[in-house]
Formats: sequence, C-alpha cells, structure tokens
Amino acid sequence: MANTTNLSTDKKTAWGGGKSPFSVSYGKLMMWIFLLSDAFTFSSLLIAYGFIRYSFPSPMENTIVKPLSHVAEHFTEAMNKAGLFVQNHWPAPELVFNHFPFIHGIHLPLFFVSLMTFILIFSSVTMVLAVEAGHRMQKKEVANYMLLTIIGGAAFLGCQAWEWTTFIGEGARLYGNPFGPRSFAALFFIVTGFHGFHVFSGVVLNVIIYLNVLNGTYEKRGHYEMVEKVGLYWHFVDLVWVFVFTFFYLI
Amino acid sequence: MEHMDHTEHLEHTETPADMKSKIWNTFWILLGLTIVDIALYFALLSTHSMLKNALFIVLGVVKAWYIVGIFMHMKFERKVLMYMIILPMIFVVFFIALMLIEGDFTYLLRW
Repeated sequence: MANTTNLSTDKKTAWGGGKSPFSVSYGKLMMWIFLLSDAFTFSSLLIAYGFIRYSFPSPMENTIVKPLSHVAEHFTEAMNKAGLFVQNHWPAPELVFNHFPFIHGIHLPLFFVSLMTFILIFSSVTMVLAVEAGHRMQKKEVANYMLLTIIGGAAFLGCQAWEWTTFIGEGARLYGNPFGPRSFAALFFIVTGFHGFHVFSGVVLNVIIYLNVLNGTYEKRGHYEMVEKVGLYWHFVDLVWVFVFTFFYLI
Repeated sequence: MEHMDHTEHLEHTETPADMKSKIWNTFWILLGLTIVDIALYFALLSTHSMLKNALFIVLGVVKAWYIVGIFMHMKFERKVLMYMIILPMIFVVFFIALMLIEGDFTYLLRW
C-alpha cells in the first residue's frame, strides 16, 4: 500500500474526534433546531394576525374605560348597546378581556391575562432552577422544582380553559363573535389553542421526565441533560406566550 | 448479563458560578418589564400609531432576550449557536413589521 492517508486521531485536531459541533450534545442541538422551526410556525400565525388586525379599523376612539366599581350583569350587552363593539372595528382588548374568576361583574381589564403571564414566567423560573440543580446532581431538588413547574403549567392550562369558557359563553365562536370582526375570536382561538396545545405537551413531557428523575434514571446516567432539553422546550413555550400576549392583548 | 452502569461524558458549555442569582435577577427583570408593558398599554390607550406597536414589540424582544439568553442558557453557549438561532429570527421581525404595514394598506384599500 503505497499511498495511505493518515487521518489524525489526535484529539486536539478537528478530525481527531471527541468533539461535538457547537460544543453541545446532539440531543440539545436538535432541540434548538426544532424550537427554531416551531418559532417559524408561531411567527407565521402572529404575522397573519398582524396583517388581519391592521386591515380593519382600529378600536373606536371612545374606548377609554375607567374601572367601574360595579358593572351591569350583562356587560357585553351593555357595551353593545353603547355602540362600543361595532362589527367592522377591531375590538379593544381591555374591553373584551376584563373578567376574573370568582369575581363576577367587576371590570378588571387584562388582570387575568397578567396573572397567566406571571404563572408561566414563574414556572419557567422553577424549570431553570431544576436544570441548575441538575448540574449539581441534586436529585431531590431537581424533582421538587420540576413538580413546581408541572403545577405551574397545569395552572396555566386551567386558566386558559377558563378564559376560553368565558369567551365562548359571551358568544365568541370560530365563525363570529359579538365584539367585532369574525377573525377576532377565530384568531384568538387558533393561536391560543395552538399555544395551549404546546403547553399541554410540555406538561406531559415534564411529567415523564419528572417520573424519570424520581426513578433515578439520570443519576445512573450521570447527567441531567434530559431535564435541560425539556427545559428548553418549556422556556420556548413561555417565550411564545410573551409574544402572543404582546400581540393579542397589547397591539 | 452484567449491566454496565456507565456515566456518559457529554460535551457542554460551562454554567457560571452565580447562576442561581442570575436566574432570580432575570425573574424580577421579566416581571418588571411585564408591568411596564401593561402600564404603557393603559397610558397609551388613546394613541393608535405604529410607534406604539414598535414599542411593544421592542419590549417583547427585550423579554425574549432575557428568556433565551439566561433561562435557555444561550448567553453561555458558543457564539455560533446563538447566531444560528438569532439571525433567522431577524427575518421574522422584519416580516412582522412588513405585514403590519401591508395590513394598513389593505385597510386603506377596503375602508
């Protein structure tokens, strides 16, 4: 054999082996790439929202509503009578989303969605604390923080379910709603539903990983990277909510 | 059959020592930014301008930076990974702005 190429097996060179691209493991890199693709999907929905929203007249001028101490039993009908929900004007979010569980009839604009945002951000914090505990191989701490994250996620889902129920109860459907253009409620259900589906799958994944943590799977493996990967997904879900919240309720 | 328990060696980037305090700091920053968001919304209720929307989008992007950078550990990863994720998203922000403007034009066309 006259000509043999000698591939260096010295670990210090690029072809020496033992190095992963970007210095992250395969699973983590793939999770990042998946999140990028999912970000595109959500972006396309939000872009569609932006376009449709701006093709309708803005919420009407006299939408400055001062908080009322007591509001009529049928708030929607009262607002309709006052001419504040006109079918070709995009509705003002603070007039539509002004309810709160167990507090009936009081005008609390955007209170509930703020609570939902806080719940999701807090569950993100507990998730990253679980990851951090995983770096120190503290099984019990990881398990506790993961449990808190699961509870936070479940709480968010419950809140979203309540929001949907109330909204549907006030007459919102995919084909129309009493507040404004038909796309308003349709877009709301599609985007929050798609996001809620991601939260749900995130909670399911978290439960599976939580049970694995309790079982000691990752102690045996020697690292808690699976917690990190699932944490990436959970933070992505929180990130999307930040933008959904910004676009649907603020813009 | 003997089951060999082996610990895998994984390639990973180092986490800073004060990670826990960074995490809680980020939480307070995110909470503060959300409160600013809502306060701004009610303060600017009567204005309808692209500038107001740009402000909310900027606030959202700042929050996103903290979530992606600290919670998702991006700030401590290799720069090239950061670029791989961030650069495509710039196109998305651009696209969102374009579609908001397109919506405006469609509105002028219709109404």
